[in-house]
Amino acid sequence: MDTTAKTAYLTKEDAVPAQPKLLAHPTAKTGLMSWLTTVDHKRIGFLYGVFALFFFLVGGVEALLIRAQLMYPNGTVLSAQMYNTMFTMHGTTMIFLAVMPLSAAFFNYIMPLQIGARDVAFPRLNAFSLWTFVAGAIVLNLGWIGPIFGVEGHNAPDVGWYGYSPLTSRQFTPGHSVDYWVMGLQLLGVASIAASLNFIVTIINMRAPGMTMMRLPVFTWMTLVTAFLIVLSFPAITIALVELMMDRNFGTVFFEVSGGGMPILWQHLFWVFGHPEVYILILPAMGIISEILPTFSRKPLFGYPIVVFSGACIGFLGFAVWSHHMFTTGMGTVATAAFALATMAIAVPTGVKIFNWIGTMWGGRLMMRTPMMFALGFVWMFMIGGFSGVMHSAAPADTQQSDSYFVIAHFHYVLIGGSIFALLAGIHYWFPLMFGRKVSEFWGKLSFWIIFVGFNVTFFPMHFLGLNGMPRRTFTYDPNLGWNTPNYIASIGAFVLGLGIAVYFAVMIYTYYKGEKVGRDPWDGRTLEWSIPNPPPEYNFRVVPTVHDRDAFWYEKNHREQIAAERAVAEKAEEAHGGIHMPHGSIWPLVASSGLLIAGVGSTAFEAKWDVPGIHWKLGLSLLGGLVTLVGIYFWSLEGNEGYHLHLDKDGKPVKGHGDDHGHGKH
Amino acid sequence: MRFVPSFLARAGRFLAALAGLLLLPGCDLNFWRMDGHQSTMIAEGPVARSQLSLFYVTCWVTLIIFILVGGVLAYTMWRFRARTEADERAEPPPQSHGNPLVEISLIGASVLALVIIAVPTLTAIWYTHDVPEAEKKNAYEVTATGHQWWFKFEYPSEQAAVDTAGAKTPLVTGNELVIPAGRPVRINVRTVDVIHSFWVPKLGGKIDMIPNRANFFWLQADKPGYFWGQCAEYCGDSHAVMRFRVIALDEKDFAAWKEKQLALARSVAAPAAPVAAAAPVAALRAFKTNEVGVSEAFDRNPLEAWRAKQAVEKDENPALVAQGRELFATKTCNACHAVRGHGAMGVQGPDLTHFGARTTIGAGLIENNPEQLRRWIRDPESVKPGNKMAKAYRDNKITLSDAEQVALTAYLLSLK
Repeated sequence: MDTTAKTAYLTKEDAVPAQPKLLAHPTAKTGLMSWLTTVDHKRIGFLYGVFALFFFLVGGVEALLIRAQLMYPNGTVLSAQMYNTMFTMHGTTMIFLAVMPLSAAFFNYIMPLQIGARDVAFPRLNAFSLWTFVAGAIVLNLGWIGPIFGVEGHNAPDVGWYGYSPLTSRQFTPGHSVDYWVMGLQLLGVASIAASLNFIVTIINMRAPGMTMMRLPVFTWMTLVTAFLIVLSFPAITIALVELMMDRNFGTVFFEVSGGGMPILWQHLFWVFGHPEVYILILPAMGIISEILPTFSRKPLFGYPIVVFSGACIGFLGFAVWSHHMFTTGMGTVATAAFALATMAIAVPTGVKIFNWIGTMWGGRLMMRTPMMFALGFVWMFMIGGFSGVMHSAAPADTQQSDSYFVIAHFHYVLIGGSIFALLAGIHYWFPLMFGRKVSEFWGKLSFWIIFVGFNVTFFPMHFLGLNGMPRRTFTYDPNLGWNTPNYIASIGAFVLGLGIAVYFAVMIYTYYKGEKVGRDPWDGRTLEWSIPNPPPEYNFRVVPTVHDRDAFWYEKNHREQIAAERAVAEKAEEAHGGIHMPHGSIWPLVASSGLLIAGVGSTAFEAKWDVPGIHWKLGLSLLGGLVTLVGIYFWSLEGNEGYHLHLDKDGKPVKGHGDDHGHGKH
Repeated sequence: MRFVPSFLARAGRFLAALAGLLLLPGCDLNFWRMDGHQSTMIAEGPVARSQLSLFYVTCWVTLIIFILVGGVLAYTMWRFRARTEADERAEPPPQSHGNPLVEISLIGASVLALVIIAVPTLTAIWYTHDVPEAEKKNAYEVTATGHQWWFKFEYPSEQAAVDTAGAKTPLVTGNELVIPAGRPVRINVRTVDVIHSFWVPKLGGKIDMIPNRANFFWLQADKPGYFWGQCAEYCGDSHAVMRFRVIALDEKDFAAWKEKQLALARSVAAPAAPVAAAAPVAALRAFKTNEVGVSEAFDRNPLEAWRAKQAVEKDENPALVAQGRELFATKTCNACHAVRGHGAMGVQGPDLTHFGARTTIGAGLIENNPEQLRRWIRDPESVKPGNKMAKAYRDNKITLSDAEQVALTAYLLSLK
């Protein structure tokens, strides 16, 4: 942090007038209110994680129902319509409500610690992102009231996670299911974009002194690239969703065939978002792996500049390959060839990462602990998924594979074997930092092996299924097509995988309460997050560190005297500036988000026709929600952002009655 | 090494035993051969062959890279792993940061490997796009149109009789596309509602049927055969049961088939004398939800089964056929289905003029025999969730008694 900014706060501090009661800053440090008003990036990250894991389990149950239906030919576990709902919600849930927020949890929790910051750039905006994400998740899942409570016309969407027009039109999907889906995704988009802008500003502006861009930990780099991908790609789907919403509710004809609309337009808009989305899911995972492998090899990352560069390169190329999802839409020879070649090109930076991970381990001293097991599992599985991806780039061959089980095998190798393995590795890796406890090696490895075996047994046979002609999104199949055995094996595998996940989480919950306590830096880490006590104090760093090398904490451990001297000077300087500057908690982000929730529910759950009372609810709740959001934003800006100061005793505990009280609305 | 090997081995053995146990009951372990009816690994025409050989190129290139990279990765994991806890705590290895020469060479090697894939990819893109110039004159044209959830096939160059006065209309069939073997077939794909996709794996990859978009595609069958196809783009409730067949015939058979198709629907002379009241008809057995409607016997030689289907049913009962023909009008079947020459002109459902000569019902879903046909017309919703015929039954309160089901079945099967 630069010191000029801090002086500005200082001079302002005495001039701040007394706050009216309504704008009193919340002071709770424990209890429900403290969570609802928190702006602490670690608490927000934790909440993201909790919600994401909840939806991960929901999506998992949906997946198991799918596998139960397909275990035998002509299965009858689910009806056709319910099966279609399951695969739609499984995809939507896993992508938007499980993997993305779980990545966001790590961005929130770990990234500021890695760059030596005390919080993100806009702490209240961060809280707003979290609560808007929750609002979006609720709206997206509103459709379950239909199947669960038997409410006619309110179903969960059954149009596929990609919602191809014109199936999503009122003509082919009456009822509210698609409205929930559209509004839910819009809110999630708002949350994602707000969060990403926050991360971008944080990474660019809040780095500790000496933390140059080329010293950023790779995970932080991937956070930055992912945030840019989100900010640039979500507008495309936002436009598509607004157009669809207009078509469904206000009679526009963007996609409406009878009015001359173009369904193909949806596909382009969707995949302009959808393909970068794939990298939004995998780049954070690559970042996590690029942290774990060096730590457990006890070596720096091999070829750091090229790993960073290839990550950015994937980000750029990710915008140039969207139509490889559309090789069967009759794009013509030239467009097909261009997108096929661009798709092959993206394999190069991806391959570079794998080479460099192996280079990192080469000559190292590999500590085969649980996070390392998941990380190695990631490298193997991601390689298989990457190779089947290269196969898809050969467009003519892809016309046989697209929309078949081969594709399902491919992207689950990338998304489970890739993203999920890395996220599970990350949970294991950073668990001691977050909670000060360590998962038992035995149980950690047990869960790894069950998950690893279950995953492969589930998804490897799907390659055979796809090549043997089984199309995806089919609720039934006949027994005479040679698909029975692979389907049976895959279903058994899915239940093994489910068991593995259950063991994993049981172990995590046990460890949270009863696990072995560990001290600071249990893995001999290399990056700054390991330099602080665990669990981390709310202010993160007692003294903002000065960074001298890429693996900042590794350098500190090898230059203790130099660092200690620097710290002493820095601490004095900081104390002279008024102590540790912290942001105030605030309820207004929650209020603004709940307004969006009210408007989201109001505008989707009621009938739009003018001759029914539903229109009054629809209009009334939408306006009320908008008003609540405006009120939230209004008070949010009124309450000010001056923050308060902490002073620490020698154990790192805030000193009571000195400094930290003047922030609580008593200026 | 304290934790991994013994534990790994135990867990592995346990899971292998578990998997073995679960797999025992009656599983076909030859699935890796991928020789099913819809296999993409068996190419029976030049388009599919071009796609398959490209697939093998990608497969071999990636497999070789996988073995090389995977081999190095496996070696690294084995060679550099910490073998004891003391090993873990030993002095860290040299803190090297990379090797630009190695990195650049690996990038170069990857690009080269991709070129091996790129060249045949580009060749195949142009080859599979349209009928080769030299063969264009010889190409046969059909139009396939997707409906929720069945396929309409139209032959623009074949004029079929509409009535005895000599009016003509392009030939239309449903769900079973008959093509000449050994001749390129250019298929225009269209849709009337949502997006569908036309896919006959053994003859070629898929092409989407997108509203407001005039897509086309070509394929060719090397020799006569019976091919399975299926809609490959999710299109709503019954997407999974939107299937079809392609039957390729040699020149002589194709001409014979065409001649028959172009004619009006077959009429069976009603018996002159009124028949004595028929014996009461037994109710059809109950079918389980989503019960299988295909038989192994059919699969043994599907092309022969198709040929057999062209002949008049052995136990045809003219009285029943006449009754069924009447029912076809009184139950308003003709509002949606066409039977050329029998006064039925509906266009919403498949054309049934020569329905009895088809091998399947409900868009390639169940076998076309009296039992399955009766199952279908008795309760179409239970066979194909959400279909329009079931909706028409509900909207117009159409019910069919057992006797009526039998009569309609007899009539439909007489339409050879």
